[in-house]
Order: sequence, then C-alpha cells, then structure tokens
Amino acid sequence: MPPRTPTLIQLLGLLVTLAAVGTFSFFTLRQVEDLRRLGSDIVDRNRRDSLQLIRIQDDVAQLGLALRDMAEGAEPYPLEAYRPQFQRLREDLQNALELEARLMPATRTEAQQKLLETVFARFWSEVDELWQLAAEGKTDAARAMIRTRIEAERATLATLISRLLIQNNEAEAAAVEEIQAIHAKVERNLYVLLVAVLAAITITGSLVIWHDRRMFAQVSHLSEQRKELAGQVIRVQEELFRTLARELHDEFGQVLTAVGMMLLRVERRLPEGAREREDLREVREIANQTLDRVRSMSQMLHPPVLDDYGLERSIEWYIGQYEKQTGMKVHYEKTGVAPWIGDAVAIHMYRILQESLNNVVRHAGVKEAWVRVRYSPEKIEMEVEDHGVGLPEKPQESGLGMIGMRERAELLGGRIEFRRRPGGGTVVFVQAPLRAQGGKG
Amino acid sequence: MLRRDFLKGLGGIWPALCAGQHGARPGFRLTDVTAQAGIHFVHNSGAFGKKYLPETMGSGCAFFDYDNDGWQDILLVNAMDWPGHKRQRTTLKLYRNNRNGTFTDVTRAAGLDVEMYGLGVAIGDYNNDGFPDLFISCLGQSRLFRNTGKGTFVDVTRTSGLWGFDGFSTSAMWFDYDRDGFLDLFVTNYVRWTQEGDIFCSFDGNSKAYCTPEAYRGATCWLFRNRGDGTFEDVTAKAGVLDTTSKSLGVTLLDFNNDGWPDVFVANDTQPNKLYTNLRNGRFLEQAVRIGLAFSEDGRARAGMGVDAADVDNSGLVSIIVTNFDNEMMGLYRGTRDGQFVDRAPQAGIGQATRHSLGFGCFFFDPDLDGMLDLLIVNGHIDESISRARRNVTHAQPPHLFMNDGKGYFRDVSRLVGEAFAAPKVARGAAYGDFDNDGDLDILITTNNGPAYLYRNDVENGNRSVRIRLVGTRSNRDAVGAVVKFQAGDLSGSRMVKSATGYLSQSEMPITIGLGRREQLDRVEVFWPSGRTEEYKGLRAGERYRIEEGKGLTAGRL
Repeated sequence: MPPRTPTLIQLLGLLVTLAAVGTFSFFTLRQVEDLRRLGSDIVDRNRRDSLQLIRIQDDVAQLGLALRDMAEGAEPYPLEAYRPQFQRLREDLQNALELEARLMPATRTEAQQKLLETVFARFWSEVDELWQLAAEGKTDAARAMIRTRIEAERATLATLISRLLIQNNEAEAAAVEEIQAIHAKVERNLYVLLVAVLAAITITGSLVIWHDRRMFAQVSHLSEQRKELAGQVIRVQEELFRTLARELHDEFGQVLTAVGMMLLRVERRLPEGAREREDLREVREIANQTLDRVRSMSQMLHPPVLDDYGLERSIEWYIGQYEKQTGMKVHYEKTGVAPWIGDAVAIHMYRILQESLNNVVRHAGVKEAWVRVRYSPEKIEMEVEDHGVGLPEKPQESGLGMIGMRERAELLGGRIEFRRRPGGGTVVFVQAPLRAQGGKG
Repeated sequence: MLRRDFLKGLGGIWPALCAGQHGARPGFRLTDVTAQAGIHFVHNSGAFGKKYLPETMGSGCAFFDYDNDGWQDILLVNAMDWPGHKRQRTTLKLYRNNRNGTFTDVTRAAGLDVEMYGLGVAIGDYNNDGFPDLFISCLGQSRLFRNTGKGTFVDVTRTSGLWGFDGFSTSAMWFDYDRDGFLDLFVTNYVRWTQEGDIFCSFDGNSKAYCTPEAYRGATCWLFRNRGDGTFEDVTAKAGVLDTTSKSLGVTLLDFNNDGWPDVFVANDTQPNKLYTNLRNGRFLEQAVRIGLAFSEDGRARAGMGVDAADVDNSGLVSIIVTNFDNEMMGLYRGTRDGQFVDRAPQAGIGQATRHSLGFGCFFFDPDLDGMLDLLIVNGHIDESISRARRNVTHAQPPHLFMNDGKGYFRDVSRLVGEAFAAPKVARGAAYGDFDNDGDLDILITTNNGPAYLYRNDVENGNRSVRIRLVGTRSNRDAVGAVVKFQAGDLSGSRMVKSATGYLSQSEMPITIGLGRREQLDRVEVFWPSGRTEEYKGLRAGERYRIEEGKGLTAGRL
C-alpha cells in the first residue's frame, strides 16, 4: 500500500493554529477597543475634568479667603476694593466652568449639572447684591450677608465640587478596575492561545515525525532490496562471464587446438609444394587466429589473471592490454603495498577501471590517461584521470556504465565520485574498504 | 511634525549641546573684590532653630549714588535677631564709595544704624530734591528714609503716611504710575505670617523645615501714591491692586503694551503671577492670565521669586524673566506682536540649565558690552537640610550668567568668568552698577545668613559703552519709566530706567549701552514719563552723559 501523504495532517494543524490565532486576535481587538474606550472616554476625560474641578475648587477657596478677609475687616479697605479680585476670580471661574462643561464625564447627571449652574448663579447674584450693599455704605449688612448667605452658598459650591471630584475619582477607580479585568482577560486569552498553538504544533509535529520515520524505513528497505537485486544481477553477470570465458577457453580452445594439430598432421603428409598442402596451411592459420580470438574474448570476459594473481597484477595486465588495443598512453602509479585482494573486491575494482578507461577512449578525445592506485591495509583507493573534454556542465541522465560503477562501489561498501578537473577532464575516484580476505576468491 | 520643524528642533539642540559651559571666553572677568573693597557685611537672618519663614527670604542690596558724587555707593539690607533671642545688634549697611576701589562704612554717620527686620530696598528721589531716598521693606513696619543731601538720612515713615502698614513686605519699587512727576511706591507682600501663628513644616516628619507659602494665607500688594508734598496715600484699593490671594516676592516695572504708561508685573510664589495694566486713569487691570504671564506653559502657578523685564532681543518688545523653585525651571516670557507672552525658557537654553536651581535675584544687563542684554540669576535653596531630602539639590547653588547670542539663545558662562563668582552660594539679592566708573557693570550679590559679595567686572574684549543718566524736570527727577531708544550702526534697541527690580534689590539707575567696538551711539531718543521726547546724536563710546529733561546733554558726568 502506498504510504499516506502527511499534507492533510499538516493542513489540519495549520488550520487549527490559524483558527486559534484568529479567535484570539478577534477577542483581543475587541478588548483593546474596550480599553481604548475606557482610557480615552473615561479615564483621560475624567482627569482633565478633575483638573478643571480642582481649578474651580481653588478659585472657590480663594473666594472663601477673600470673603473671610472682608467679613473680618482684615484689611483697612472698603469692601468694594475687593471687587477687582472677585472679578478676576469670576472670569477664571467662568472659563473653568465652560471647559468643565465640555469635559463633563458621562457619570454626571443632568440634575447635578443643573444644580452646579444654579448654585453658581445664586452665588454671583448674592455677590452682586453684596456690592450693592457695599456701594450704599451698608458695610455691616454686607458683612452680615457674607457671614450668612454668601458663605453658605460658597460652602454649598465647595461641597458640590468636592462631590463631583469624588464622583470623578470613583468613576476613574471603576474604570481602572474594568481595565484591570480586561487586562486579566487578555492575559487568560493569551495563555489559552499559547496552549492551543502549542498543542496544534505538538500534534502536527508528532504526526509528521511519525510519518517521516515510516517513510524513511520504507525507503531504506527498498534501497536494501534494490542493492541486493543489483548485487545479484552483477554476480549473475560475472558468473556468466566467468562461465563463458571458461567454456570459450576450455571447449573452443581445445577443439580449435585439436583442429590445428590435425591439420598440421595432414599437411605434413602431403608432398612439399602440393597445392592441397598450401590450402591446409591456410585453414590451419584461420583455426589458429580463431583460437587467439576466442582466448582473447575469454580473457576480456573474465581474465584468469584475476583469479590466479589478484587485483594488482590484473590492473597491470589490463593496462598493458588496453594500451596495446587502443594505442592510448596510460600513466600508472601505485602507492602502498597491495595486500591479497580476492575476487569479491577485485572483480568490481577491475570492472570500474575497465569502464573508466573505456569511457576515456570513447568520450575524452585524448590519448593519455592516468591511473593511480593507493593501497593500505584498510582500504583501496583508485583514480582514473584524463585531461579530455570532461563531464558535461549539466549532467544528463547517467549512462548505464556509470550506474554500473555506482552499483559496484555500493556493493563494495565504498564510494565513487565523478569529478570535473578544474583545467578540463574527468577524475573517477573510487574508494573501497578492505575486509579480512581469506585466501583467493 | 513636519520634517522642517524636526530639523529646526535639532538645530536648536546642537548649540545647546555644544555650548554648555564650554566654548569661547565671554570677553570679561569677574573678580571677587569684596574684602579688598572693605566690605565686611554678614547677613543676620536671626535664625535660632525655629526656622521661621522670614529667616530664609532675605536680603536685598543696592547700588546707588547717595551723595551724588558720580560714584556708585552700596547698600546692604539686614535683618535682626528675633525678640527674646537677642545675641547681636545688626543693621543695614551703607558703604560710601571712596573712588579708589574701596568703600567706607558710613551707616552710623548716615543715620541708618536702625535695627529692623529688613528684607528689600527700593531707591528713588520721591521728593525730587536731587538726592535718592531709601525705602526698606521689612517684616513688620517698613521704613522710608529721606536723604537730607548732607550725607544723612531721616526716617520719615511716620510723617510720610507709611506708618501702620504692617506686613511681610518683600520687593518694592518706585515708579510714577499717574505720571504726575512724583514717584509712587509699590510694595509687595508675601504671606500673612506672625511669630505666634508659625506653622510646623517638615521634610521628614521630625525636624522642622522652612515652610513653603502654601501653609499661609496670601497678602495684598500695596500701592502708595505720592501726593507731592512728602506724604503718601494708600491707593491699593482705589487703583484696583488689592488682591489678598497674592503671595508676592518680586516686582518690576515695564510698559508691555508700549503705551507710555507704566505697567507692573508681580511674581507670586505658588500663586498666579499678576500683570497690572495701567488704565491711564489711576487704575490698573490685572491681565496676567489673559496674556499668558500667570502660569507656566503647562498651566501651573510656579514659585515666582525675582523678576525683571527688558527689551532683550532689541526688538522693542519686552521679555520677562521670573526665577522659580528648583524642578520648575525659570520662566523667560517673550512678548509677541499680538500682545501675548510665551515662555521660551526651554528653547532659549535657560529651561534645562536652571532645572535644579532655586532662583532668587535676577536681572538683564550687558556685562560684555556687546549691546545685547544678558541675564544673571543667583540661586540658593531655602533650607540647609534640603540635600537630605533631595539628593540632586543643594543648599548653596552656583549662579547662572547667561550670555545672549542675539538669536534667541542663551549660554551659561558663569564658570568661565571667575571661579569665585561661580562658587555655590545661598544667594538672594543681586544688583549691578559700575562702582569703579570704568564703563562696565560690576555685580553685588547678597546671601542668606552669609556674606555679601562684590565682583569687579573687567571687560577684556575691547568693547566699550555709553553711560547715560537721565534727570527729569517735568518728569520725576530719577526719570523712572523713561525709555531710551538708541541706534549705533546696525545695533538698535531700547532701555528703560527703573528703580528696584529683580529680588529685594536695586541696581544703579544710569543706563549703560554696550556698543561693542563701535565708536559712537549715532542716535538716542529719550521718551520721558512726562510725554516729552528728545533726540540726541553722536554720543561717543567710553563717555558718560547726563541728559536733563528739556535742558540737554552734558558730557563727562553722570
């Protein structure tokens, strides 16, 4: 069954997260709006209103002090002398009251505002009457009026303004409480959001990890299977080559050798210079050539030197053959002491060398190649280098040869790299571990 | 904010950062010559531990020429021990100028060794006899001393009609509010305080501290009209000046609306400042709130102490300095063309520089004689234990000497003009005057319960001045309220003759016009209080002149 895609889980997780963030944002924005409303409409306005009320309270207190001076006769001046002072305070009060009326908080009732205006009007009307009495020289009556009616009105004003200030303070305290409650709600929402987002991330993440692990296990299993299959294909191929080589060498070789011997014997029985003798010699020549070709083909399919002398000698032998057959010059370098490398490793290294040098002659367009082999007890490294046209800039699909080389390197548990030389050309580098090899094969 | 405004703002900050107390030497030096001048005065506040409010307020000082010899003499006001706590006898001191840089104490000979709880001084020739008379504002009964012209003074408080006015009188000034040719007297009162009614104030709840004025009820200022016969009439009520809410400490004369009639600005402590506009009919209209002088820019009544007014930017518009409490900044109110005032102290470099200063005495003057009025502010806290309550505030505080760059910015150079001058003091009064007649302005500073200081100014930059004394004939003889408009090349401006200004103190009456390197004053116009206008030309730099109303100019003497 093909594995299920995790996209659905991820989408679901994303949706849950987005939903949580969206819900939180919606509620938070509403709460911020409430905060703004409370801040600007109630707290700020209350404070500005309170400032005006304090100004009014201060003016009323100043009036009180002046009235006290007038009643006590503290200054040696007629009562009317206080008129400019009252006028100044009256103007300031008027200005403050106008400002205050504009800032009046929502908690103020119409009745309260009306009362404030009425008491002020009554106070100033009393004060006007006072100036009248003062102008008429009725100082005692005026002083009595201050002590009784005007001071009473002023005290009423002072109380009224104090009450309004208290009311403002209470409204402000209530607003502050509400603000704190909103802050608490926002804080709670934040925690809920945090939990929801964390849960969504955890669940989605866990599912994705679980899915990835399953996929990885499947991929790994498939890779093992493919490797095994490739190994078997190569092994079967090598076995086939070996059998073919042996058959060619043993069967066809012996038959052809026997044919040659028999032809020689018949030839010798014929008189010198006989035409038949010459024909037989030609047939024998053909048989010998066929024998050579069969032997050569057998060696190419699976060189017996590999089984008899191991990798090191096989490389040297093959390079010699290669130079002879292709006319290429191969610079061979060997480093380290070669241990016995049996067929299991040797055949693959040999085939990689064979394929690499074949590629040079086929694609590089040069007449020289370099082969470097480094031996150490733990590993073998081999480089085949040419200074030819190099690998294409955009590697096309790997050819069968290169796939084969990779498969063989993997079968050895090693690695292979196809590098482009900076000055042009290609380097095939292969490295393979050398495990303890028990004798030949 | 527009980008242009922002850049302009930055442009303002940069000189502020660069200027500070660094930069070029201001071109003059102030040397402490108190001892070598023979001035050995110590103020006695009477303090004995009870921390009575008046103890921390005084006292004032004055430069004036009591003997009319053309050399400025010195008067230092003193208080006295409290009744029941008598330890010493202290009186004000009058120092006669010996014309050689030294002074002689002539207090006793002048008949001024009178004990009183003196606070301020205002000097004016109220009887127009040619000799300056003395008004000493006191806690209790203030005193008026008439100058006999023979080196002595006579206490005429009773006969002049000023007897019986008991108060906590602080600054006072002479001016001719009705322009009848006789100097009238304006007296500010602080609060209604008595020894018996003293209130316990404290920073820490245990030990007593000096109270701020909130603890006491305000007191009205007084205006006394000079009848011209040596007596005065209390016109406080009649003139519309009565205001029992005021807690006044400073007063100055100005003509803010340029109508030729003297107006009065009163600095109030914790109460709105007052601007009494002269209605030209013997009455005043208080308008400080309306024209923007009552409060700080954020609408608070500050602790106004000293005050002075002058044509600081030579524009013909008056600017007003008001010294305030620490953490309040000084107020520099600049007049606008539409008759309003705006506090420009922060933009002018004065606001931030004075944040931690508790300012008292202040005045505009021209110590470097460059033609632009600079500003002196002397400072000192009211309580010696203030450092315990507020770490960044000290009892003794250095003065500020702000140099006017002519472009609306002031640079404090106090530390660059003399170490002794810059030393912290518990300063109160301050006055300027050219005591050595070298053409530049020297400085006198008093301290609370401490010595007075005389600083000789030596202008080193080659600048010169023209000094002019105005003598009224139809106008009051001191020409108080006269305005001198001048022009010297590209320099022009105006100066007004005043009696006392600042805080409890009086500077010399002659006008000093700094000319820089200019050779002469091209033109001088005198607007006499009588309404007469006179014009003079070609007044030479470095010269002294006397201009007598209707009689003309005399060179070579003041």
